[in-house]
Amino acid sequence: MLEITNLHARLTDGREILRGIDLSVGAGEVHAIMGPNGSGKSTLAAVLAGRDGYEVCEGTVSYLCRDLLAMEPDERAREGLFLAFQYPVEIPGVNNMYFLRTAINAQRRHRGEPELDAGQFLRVVRAKLKQLDLGEDLLQRAVNVGFSGGEKKRNEIFQMAMLEPRLAILDETDSGLDIDALKIVARGVNQQRSPDRAIVLITHYQRLLNYVEPDRVHVLQGGRIVQSGDKSLALELERRGYGDIEAAA
Amino acid sequence: MSTIVDFPVKAEARPYLEAFGRGSFLRDRQEPDWLAGYRKASLARFAELGFPSRRGEAWRYIDLRPLEKRPMLPVRTTDQAAISATVRDQLAEIGLAGPTCRFVLVDGRFAPELSTFERLPEGVWLGSTAAAIAERPDLIRSNLETPPPDPARAFTALNAALFADGFVLEIAPGVAFERPLEIVHLASGTVEASLHTRSLVVSGEDSRAAVIESFIGAGGYWRNDVVELRLAPSAELARAVLVEEAAAALHFGEMLATLGAASRLASFALLLGGRTVRHDITVRSEGEKSRCDLGGAFLLSGRQEANILTTVDHGAPGGETRENFKGVATERAHGAFQGRITVRPGAQKVDAHQLSRNLVLGPRAAIDTKPELEIYADDVKCSHGAAVGDLDEAALFYLRARGIPNGEARRMLIEAFVQEAAELVEPAPIREHLLSRIARRLASLEEQE
Repeated sequence: MLEITNLHARLTDGREILRGIDLSVGAGEVHAIMGPNGSGKSTLAAVLAGRDGYEVCEGTVSYLCRDLLAMEPDERAREGLFLAFQYPVEIPGVNNMYFLRTAINAQRRHRGEPELDAGQFLRVVRAKLKQLDLGEDLLQRAVNVGFSGGEKKRNEIFQMAMLEPRLAILDETDSGLDIDALKIVARGVNQQRSPDRAIVLITHYQRLLNYVEPDRVHVLQGGRIVQSGDKSLALELERRGYGDIEAAA
Repeated sequence: MSTIVDFPVKAEARPYLEAFGRGSFLRDRQEPDWLAGYRKASLARFAELGFPSRRGEAWRYIDLRPLEKRPMLPVRTTDQAAISATVRDQLAEIGLAGPTCRFVLVDGRFAPELSTFERLPEGVWLGSTAAAIAERPDLIRSNLETPPPDPARAFTALNAALFADGFVLEIAPGVAFERPLEIVHLASGTVEASLHTRSLVVSGEDSRAAVIESFIGAGGYWRNDVVELRLAPSAELARAVLVEEAAAALHFGEMLATLGAASRLASFALLLGGRTVRHDITVRSEGEKSRCDLGGAFLLSGRQEANILTTVDHGAPGGETRENFKGVATERAHGAFQGRITVRPGAQKVDAHQLSRNLVLGPRAAIDTKPELEIYADDVKCSHGAAVGDLDEAALFYLRARGIPNGEARRMLIEAFVQEAAELVEPAPIREHLLSRIARRLASLEEQE
């Protein structure tokens, strides 16, 4: 589903952040990408989603056999790529429901499916909220405006559930959450696991992985993947810290 | 009156003097002597002033050259044929949905056949300015003869000389007129001319009313509209203005409001259409603890220009002013906001805030914003804020990252930005109408892309 080959990327100020990433994620798999602060985790997520401010200087990214980097950010999303933001953006004046319906219908148009009217959309919303055990309280507010940290992350998970992506990248969705919010996020991720969907969890801590069991764990350091393994690698990292890995690499 | 005059005349004023003098302007109107005298005196003032200069602050953002090159003389007669399919279409386009109390003017004159305001409640008087001159001189004469706050305003003087009609609304003390009153100004497009309208709203003590004035038209014309609002103590008045003039039209709207003690004025202006639109508000707070909310937005494209000017003059203590204006300019459009708040000596405990926020979308668009506070009292709370910028890139990326195409995402953000200013407009039918006009204008921008 996702093939990253020798990906190098730098900030527009010239600093190179990614220095040759190789990563292959297949359908139905959950990968965790771990690493210390500044290792390039969030840059990887940003480059995959198509955020401005980064320049890919080398390497390729193939997504569903297409050149991901050639697509505009909104096209990537309509093709089924979803990024859960580390810092979801507040958008005053744009109602959360209206926003989400516009997004869903953009995707449906792209797939040649009929748009959902307000009533149909509401039925889907209610079903998803129930599935995730979320309340309706966030829906009538402006997108992320005045949301607590936990509410913002719940909103990301809710959007993911609504958009049903093929590839979901969660950028530190677990950071700053209390245990209850973490469980909601984990439940959302586990419910999204399916044979035709891939999930990439970017995280600093092993904590989330107590609730979501990854198929593969990668350690990102200095802009490269320095070690990969199964879920036991996460536990090892927790025990030994990133410093040890660095020494070994 | 002959064309030979005994006062100094600026060159650009001469065609208007001649139009006034030519035979019949006064004689045809059969107006009382006091009004004829008032018109002559106003015309003399205009002749002396000439067109405003771009070197002065008040007119620096408006290009008057087209008007100087080709005078637009007043419409001379009401052409019944002008009440055609065109104006009916305009009315259907701009009118509030559902039954309303509606007063329509075509080419600056009352059009009874398009108006529906029977069964007004007791204590509400509504009629054309021409009718008021005949039937209610008590209401209008003293008002016209009171010297304007700024006698140096040339187009206000021209309006006084040439106004054909307008509306007069009186709400008696203690009366709450709950239905929104709709005043619709249409332009038939049959004449390339100037339309001068003069209107008056008198809100009695403890009364309440809400008015929306919509302007729409066809062809090339110059609208020069002056409205005076007088709020008695504890009166509440809301006035919304919706300007969707024709693409080639000039629109100069002036509002002069006087606030009595503890009265409340809410004014909102949405400027969407017209080649050149100027919306000029003067509010004088004369009684203690008055409150005035001024809001508005312009949304410009092509080579449109719009200018919002506000002058709030606090002459009494305890007054409150809230200003919230938004501007959007795309393509080669140019917008400007100039806001002045004056607090006179002794007007203590005045609380005034002014905010002007603007989006400039495109390298050839521009918006100027110029707040001005003049404070001569020491115990006041006054502030202003101004911002000019582009759309929030982070918000745009967030929307796009959910699959919303760039153009649609931009429209959502612009709409949210403009709508915020209109969200406090009361009553709800007027607010909903303004919000839907904003959405429609944005959709038309998208089509142009």
